[in-house]
Amino acid sequence: MSARFRRYILTKLVWYLVALLAAVSLNFFLPRVIPGNPVDTIMAHFLQSGGQGAAAGKMYQAFIAQFGLERPLWGQFLTYLGDIAHGSLGQSFSLFPAHVTTLIGQAAPWTIALQLPAILIGWILGNLLGALAAFKRGAFDRNLFVTALAFSSIPYYALAIVLLYVFAVVLPIFPASGGYAFGTIPNLSWSFIFDALSHYLLPFLSLVVIAIGGQAVGMRSMAIYELGSDYVNYATSLGVSDRRVLGYVFRNAMLPQITGLALSLGTLVGGALITEIVFSYPGVGTLLFNAINANDYPLIQGITLIIIVAVLLANFLVDMAYGYIDPRIRAARSGER
Amino acid sequence: MLVRVRFLRTAIHSGRFNTSLVLVVLVVLFALLGPVIVGHDPNAVVGSMNASPASHPPLGTDNFGRDELTLLMYGTRTSLEIGAIAGLVAVLIGVVVGTLAGFYGGVVEEALMGATNVLITIPAIVVLILLSVALGSRSAVTMGLIIGVTSWPWTARAVAAQTSSLRTREHIDIARLSGASGFGIIVRDVIPYILSYLGMAFTLQLATAVLTEAALSLLGLGPTNTISLGILLQWSLLWEAVRQGVWWTFIPPTFFLSVVSFGLLLLNSSLDEIYNPRLQGGGGSGA
Amino acid sequence: MPELLVAKDLRAYYRTGLSGWIRAVDGVSLSLNEGEILGVAGESGCGKSTLAMVLASVARWPLCVQGGTMHVDGRSVPLSGGLKGDGSHRGTVVSLMPQGAMNSLNPTQRVRDFVFDVLRSHDPHVARAETLDRARERLEKLHLPARVLDAYPHQLSGGMKQRVVAVISTLLDPRVLIADEPTSALDVGAQRALLALMVELLEQRIIGSIVLVTHELPILRNVAQRTMIMYAGQLCETGPTEEVIFAPAHPYTKALMQATLVLESATKRQRIEGLEGGPPDLSQPPGGCRFHPRCRYALEACSQSVPPTVVPSAGHDAVCWWLAQATPPPTAAASDGAAEP
Repeated sequence: MSARFRRYILTKLVWYLVALLAAVSLNFFLPRVIPGNPVDTIMAHFLQSGGQGAAAGKMYQAFIAQFGLERPLWGQFLTYLGDIAHGSLGQSFSLFPAHVTTLIGQAAPWTIALQLPAILIGWILGNLLGALAAFKRGAFDRNLFVTALAFSSIPYYALAIVLLYVFAVVLPIFPASGGYAFGTIPNLSWSFIFDALSHYLLPFLSLVVIAIGGQAVGMRSMAIYELGSDYVNYATSLGVSDRRVLGYVFRNAMLPQITGLALSLGTLVGGALITEIVFSYPGVGTLLFNAINANDYPLIQGITLIIIVAVLLANFLVDMAYGYIDPRIRAARSGER
Repeated sequence: MLVRVRFLRTAIHSGRFNTSLVLVVLVVLFALLGPVIVGHDPNAVVGSMNASPASHPPLGTDNFGRDELTLLMYGTRTSLEIGAIAGLVAVLIGVVVGTLAGFYGGVVEEALMGATNVLITIPAIVVLILLSVALGSRSAVTMGLIIGVTSWPWTARAVAAQTSSLRTREHIDIARLSGASGFGIIVRDVIPYILSYLGMAFTLQLATAVLTEAALSLLGLGPTNTISLGILLQWSLLWEAVRQGVWWTFIPPTFFLSVVSFGLLLLNSSLDEIYNPRLQGGGGSGA
Repeated sequence: MPELLVAKDLRAYYRTGLSGWIRAVDGVSLSLNEGEILGVAGESGCGKSTLAMVLASVARWPLCVQGGTMHVDGRSVPLSGGLKGDGSHRGTVVSLMPQGAMNSLNPTQRVRDFVFDVLRSHDPHVARAETLDRARERLEKLHLPARVLDAYPHQLSGGMKQRVVAVISTLLDPRVLIADEPTSALDVGAQRALLALMVELLEQRIIGSIVLVTHELPILRNVAQRTMIMYAGQLCETGPTEEVIFAPAHPYTKALMQATLVLESATKRQRIEGLEGGPPDLSQPPGGCRFHPRCRYALEACSQSVPPTVVPSAGHDAVCWWLAQATPPPTAAASDGAAEP
């Protein structure tokens, strides 16, 4: 690993830490934008949405202590940072005394199981299709492009709603909600796994189809551009076979696609969460939705923090991969910000 | 002038451009003229709950008995309003940040672009959720503003790249030699060059803003006491319309959201093709 | 001695819009002898780069070859290129050294890997080690450092990249090397090194002959034995380089030479004269001789029909009505190159 690559990693790391700090600060300060004692406001909201008086008293004490409201704002921020460092994100209001971390921990596997395969398969298949269309041109290209563009421009939840309606209501092939049949307890038996998969399919499809569309569109443009470049012409002029030249093109067009992946991760994650709401899928999205409805600030904040960290981490990993794959970076320059 | 004529000629021949333009114009007309033609208050109860289009043309009623078509018109208008405001705000901020960074280069560019990149990596939806929760209640205008304020980094980065490449062109040097101030150069020589690009950026920002509003509404963080496409969808989902098969309350808003988004993105890609002819499909790769 | 390459009546047009053609190369014929460097010169847009692509058999859409034949060593060579043709003759019979070597090498591939790909496209069973040995040997023979093989393109200087491209283009020992403006982006030192390399390739009989497309006359003087002047897609004049430059026969060549400064003592007394107007629109070229709108010697015949070939001296011919009138009729001896268009 060259010194320049090391410098690349370090520069990126610093920027990501800055981003993390900015995000965590936003996460902390934004809800406190509203004037007044935040705990009072929170309690008022809570009581309004049906919280019970007896529990309220205990909660009030707990939260005053937790927020450290007697200290100045900066002190509260440091307390917050300290808590995070210890792995504590506070306790939920609406599901008191459950800890935020526990709640997220239960919901996260469902979300990851949904999003990770969708992102990966969407990226791989989408890029292959896009490159193929760029190479073949003609009718195949035109049809693919319009279809892919159509799919990539509708929001994830729009497709989700349509799929839900068509395949779970009109034609009741798939279950209409949840992650598994109501009333069953998650276990590792085959019948449960099969049940979970049938609940999984529609949400997964609504994510992956659109991801494929988006990638195909982008890859097609990149590949068309690369196919017209000088090195393609030169290699062909020396008799290098089409397949091999395509390999060059694919590899070079992929590089910006990796960056594109990093950029779209943020929107992807957000969109996928909303999709969960449509299906009442027991992931982080539904958890967030319920938390917002109940004005459960600690839970909301905890979820947004986790989302931020996940997206930043994913972006960082993608940046590392890019730096490693592109020899111009690995062998030569440092980051270009 | 010639450039514009050539542009129009190529544009008219592009099937993609025509289709998308027609789509977008139709939707805008629907949203702007619809309420004027219909006239009455969208919140008025005009029929029984969840009446199907068969019994209450043309689009049935929602869970409260309100006319779905009227709701759709007002909703589309609000969504487009929010999108337009957000787009405008995003492009304005983006242009200012981008041209300053691209034109002055050096430390200014590093600082501005560094901040922009940090903001890009923070997922906007998260910031929007936090802002919306903090705000308690939000008007359509407020939503447009906050969406715009969280989505400018993308435009800023693109504008900075364009400006940066323009900076080394001769007509900028000439302007500088003739004593024009930095600001003057930016306004008179840089911006006209990237105007077409800004138009494209605006359509993109509009499209994403409309979708973002819908996403927020679905989360329960949409504009309060207003009807937008997203709010319509949210109500529909809240009242279990999908499972009950009350398709006229969720298919039309979904359809309109998709059409707006697709139309604008297609328009954007067709403009992209017109400006970069290499992307056009056409003859095979063989001789 | 038989000619190495004979090309007759080459026509290649670019497709514009839905039905237009730009007649970039319109009836060019030429021939090459073994061991010689033929220069092709002319203004920008005269079609010389297009001619290079056609000769190297790499013309692809939107460039379409509309007619003409080419024979190397007596065997016919296909003129159309494109991703879907049979590529066995490319690189082995004719080979292109493209303009702008900067971008001709795949930025994400090491030189040695590209060399391997090129060689195994023509011999699927060749071992990687063998190809590297061949490449190293060739580099040494041509006095270039073998370490370039391990480099990525961005690690090489512009001049070195151009020389590497020259080596790769000749790795398969093509009979003819077509060099398209090889010196355009190089400084003088790098130019000299590249030209020396090209001459070396000839002297070591690695290749048979070179077609050198350039607009720089000093380079032609240095290395090209014969030179052709192109204008608006057609040939004006062909002949020994010294004669073409210092005793041009065709009015266009005369104007071109008068508009150029050559660093000699005679320059002090020379005046530069420009030429009015600009090159014609090749989608609708002028009838007859394409130069006639700008020619000070234009006769009536020039706008009406294609001029004949005139041979002012041995091995030197030009295509011009005014010349035909002003000089005695051509001898029966066949001239080098141009056939009747």
